Amino acid sequence: MMKRYDAVVIGAGHAGVEAAAALAKLNKKTLLTTLSAEAVAFMACNPNIGGTAKGHLVKEIDALGGVMGEIADKAAIQVRMLNRAGGEAVHSLRAQVDKNLYHRLMKQRMESAENLDVMEADVNELIFDGDRVAGVRTAVGDVIYADAAVICTGVYMDSRIITGGYERATGPAGFMRSVGLSENLKRYGLDIRRFKTGTPMRVLSKTIDYEEMELQPGEEGLPRFGMLTENAVRNDCACYLTYTNAETHRIILSNLDRAPLYNGNISGIGPRYCPSIETKVVRFKDKERHQIFVEPEGTDTCEMYIQGLSTSLPFDVQEQMLHSVKGLTRAKITRYGYAIEYDCLNPKCLNAALGIKGFKGLYSAGQINGSSGYEEAAAQGLVAGINAARYLDGKEPLILTRDSSYIGVLIDDLVTKGTEEPYRMMTSRAEYRLRLRQDNADIRLTELGYEIGLADEKRYAKYLKKKAEVAALKDTFSSLRFGKKDLSNAGIETGDTLKTSFTVTELIKMGVGIDIIKNMIPELASYMPEALTCAATDIKYSGYLSKEDRRVAEESRLNDYAIPADIDYGAVEGLRIEAREKLGEIRPMTLGQAGRISGVNSADVTVLLIYLRKKRQS
Amino acid sequence: MSDVIAAISTARGSAAVSIVRLSGDGVKEIASRIFFKKGFEFELAEANRLYLGEVKAGMVKDRAFCVYYRAPKSYTGEDVVEFQLHGGRVVTEAVLETALSLGARPAMPGEFTRRAYLNGKMSLSEAEGVEALIAADSEAEAAAAYRALDGELDKKIRETGELLVQATAGLDVMLDYPEEMIEDTRPSVVEKLEAVKNTLSALIGTERERKMLSEGISVVIVGLVNAGKSSLMNALCGAERAIVTEFAGTTRDVLRETLEINGVKVTLSDTAGIREGAEGAEKIGIERAEKAVNGADLALFVMDGSEPESGEERELYEKIRLRPHIRIRNKGDIDGYPREADVTVSALTGENMDVLRALVAEKTGIKAMTSPPLVRQRQLHAVTKALDCVRTALRDMETATPDCVSADVKEALEALYSLIGEDAAESVVDEIFSKFCVGK
Repeated sequence: MMKRYDAVVIGAGHAGVEAAAALAKLNKKTLLTTLSAEAVAFMACNPNIGGTAKGHLVKEIDALGGVMGEIADKAAIQVRMLNRAGGEAVHSLRAQVDKNLYHRLMKQRMESAENLDVMEADVNELIFDGDRVAGVRTAVGDVIYADAAVICTGVYMDSRIITGGYERATGPAGFMRSVGLSENLKRYGLDIRRFKTGTPMRVLSKTIDYEEMELQPGEEGLPRFGMLTENAVRNDCACYLTYTNAETHRIILSNLDRAPLYNGNISGIGPRYCPSIETKVVRFKDKERHQIFVEPEGTDTCEMYIQGLSTSLPFDVQEQMLHSVKGLTRAKITRYGYAIEYDCLNPKCLNAALGIKGFKGLYSAGQINGSSGYEEAAAQGLVAGINAARYLDGKEPLILTRDSSYIGVLIDDLVTKGTEEPYRMMTSRAEYRLRLRQDNADIRLTELGYEIGLADEKRYAKYLKKKAEVAALKDTFSSLRFGKKDLSNAGIETGDTLKTSFTVTELIKMGVGIDIIKNMIPELASYMPEALTCAATDIKYSGYLSKEDRRVAEESRLNDYAIPADIDYGAVEGLRIEAREKLGEIRPMTLGQAGRISGVNSADVTVLLIYLRKKRQS
Repeated sequence: MSDVIAAISTARGSAAVSIVRLSGDGVKEIASRIFFKKGFEFELAEANRLYLGEVKAGMVKDRAFCVYYRAPKSYTGEDVVEFQLHGGRVVTEAVLETALSLGARPAMPGEFTRRAYLNGKMSLSEAEGVEALIAADSEAEAAAAYRALDGELDKKIRETGELLVQATAGLDVMLDYPEEMIEDTRPSVVEKLEAVKNTLSALIGTERERKMLSEGISVVIVGLVNAGKSSLMNALCGAERAIVTEFAGTTRDVLRETLEINGVKVTLSDTAGIREGAEGAEKIGIERAEKAVNGADLALFVMDGSEPESGEERELYEKIRLRPHIRIRNKGDIDGYPREADVTVSALTGENMDVLRALVAEKTGIKAMTSPPLVRQRQLHAVTKALDCVRTALRDMETATPDCVSADVKEALEALYSLIGEDAAESVVDEIFSKFCVGK
């Protein structure tokens, strides 16, 4: 049986669906393959989307015209804004999501998209014409011809799940794993590594004593992920907080010899930011208790997710430690926690467009690239999908810079620095954190999404409106003045100063919150709430932002300077040996990226620049 | 838009003329506060014209040429100002230092050339050989930087950097893990920043060191008539050109000279009064010498080794004994009389002058400052910037949100880590996971 598409996306997880949706939207006949149709956009671990840095990623995906924000909004059952005390730059929206609903809505979104087919297939071989992708072959021998392929295998390649002494060669949650593709990639000389992650147990809701835990309700009146989402969130589900105790820790420590992480049964590299409970107890002996969040898996299930007890300890130990926790003493486990090991690529195999170096038309995204998390996967899927489409159109790839977005930071970190553990997005990784905010994600990226062809007219119009409102607000704020008396009537103390009146801009810089200002100027109610936040935050951070601006301007000259893919670093005279080696390994796409490689210094970059100029002229 | 970069763009030391070059937006503003000429205003400066005037840089004043090149018709394609100065390091460095204090940034190796390229200013023929030059330059700089960092300064920068990593991690862990970080890390952040502030201030801020860097160390030569003070002074200045000549005498050339020992500016003064042959001159001389010694960082007590020790010599020594000093037995080339001395030299033949220089360096505590000027400027610039950021962070700790405070702390960290080539962001992430139990 022969099939022909423009592009094939291998794997329909969070990376795969974004890649496929982008390709299809950009008019490419696309096939999205999945090992199981029940696993499309399956949330194998925590039942939430967003949170610190991840919320930013979702907003950015949405701003570019991706799908995660739209579906997350529809499937959200509770939302909170994290980090209010941290400042506007790090305000992070997080939604509890109904897992089954998310899966169903995303599946439907894929199935109904124009240019896009979804099909169960076990792809285990790539087909090339020279160095160009020509298609893929499935385990049953079917060939799917396509000029571009995006590999999004998540944690499914040669995966193995482990609980205590029990292990099974399977994907997460009992889904079948992918066998053969990893071998096939190795045959092409790609650097395959073994990473590890894990998940906690799920328990039956009716066996939990909620009154013994702290209630964590949702918040009303929050913005949504999707710029085009109109309705408010349901917010009808609650989360709960409880803690481990000395007894829990005793149970864990006395069973360490049965813990695969400590008895040598697991060799994969696990993430430091998502430690199992046994790791936390061993590494932080002094900590008397660890938090446990009890969160609903959805509205059509009675399973609750035990956030904080990720573990691969044996079944009986899992039960013992669970029952030592307040509120969970009679809890019944529906699924036990497990660790999962899987094959993934060394992301240094990739260029900044997420193309696999040495091949044409071959891209990869998500956990196969050494990242972790739904949002990180989706962000990469979007970029890989866009670039696969641009490759098919013979266009220059889209490379998001570190100053443009968290997506840019994520990809640049992965492909330039590489990673030795599953990579999680953190706000502290973004050097331009004050400009990369949720409230301006669309201001930063929607124009670009529109140019590419992903953001549609409706989104673009809304972006233009917001942009105009932000400009108008800043204008108004700089001229509108309040007298000292009005201000003290409004409860604003201006302190000891000879000034008799203040502009709104001045007030914002003095730390007066936007809510107070809204009360003083009733007309502001007619503006988009996010335009208000954006304008006020730009003003509040203006000193820092202009500092960032200067640095961005300086760096952009190098970031804009492309390095041809076929450059021979051996021919560049004057490069130091270390720099030559590192440049040859990473093969940066721009001079800016070259300069960020560890082992390449400023003089090397200049030498390279001169070489490129000479080459251009001759 | 590009920031102003500055560097000494001529080879160090040997040339008769040295050039300090500035490039970027705002060079004129900086230059106008360094170069002065009657009836001349930088705003109205003609491009490509050589102006003769005076540079004023800290305590240093000198005649100098200045040229302004208007963008895009300049080497880099940006606004450029060049100061052409008397060779040698003192004026050159003072001008560079002043430019940096006015907002310029020390250029990275090859950065002028890089800008020239980015702005499309260099032709193929001009480019030949430039790579090799840059590479050689950067190797030398790297080696120099390595030497400079292989000591006390390096240790301090690493220690301070480590504290800044901890402070940043303390702030960022709250931002990345707001739900899990129950304890308030701010008090410990403040504590760390205070420690950093103190270390950095000590590094650059103490009165003594600031003086060493901007005004130089003052050293006076004391001794009886004919002890050989003036020849010692000339011998010390030696190959180093005397640059700043404030009081020219009639019979002797100079009473005060600025020179450089181990890369640090030293103002050397002769105690003039003692040589005057008038009645009671010795008494007045001794009083003046005492005064001069009290105002100086170091005294060079010169004794005439060809003569036996006299009562006046002992009396003079008594007056300065308690101040930092070096006892020098001069005229060591003649078979003369012994003295209790730290060093025996011959100003005439130059014998042991290097030992004397080393002693001066040791006594004034300038041993650690032997790195070449550009490297040192970059270090100083980085440390100053870091201190500035830490001060801002401490000031804003209570009023600004942690995302802003963290931006300042990180800037300080990046400034310091740029000197030792460490990855600031990665260090912070490592610190977060090693110190805090976060992640679900």
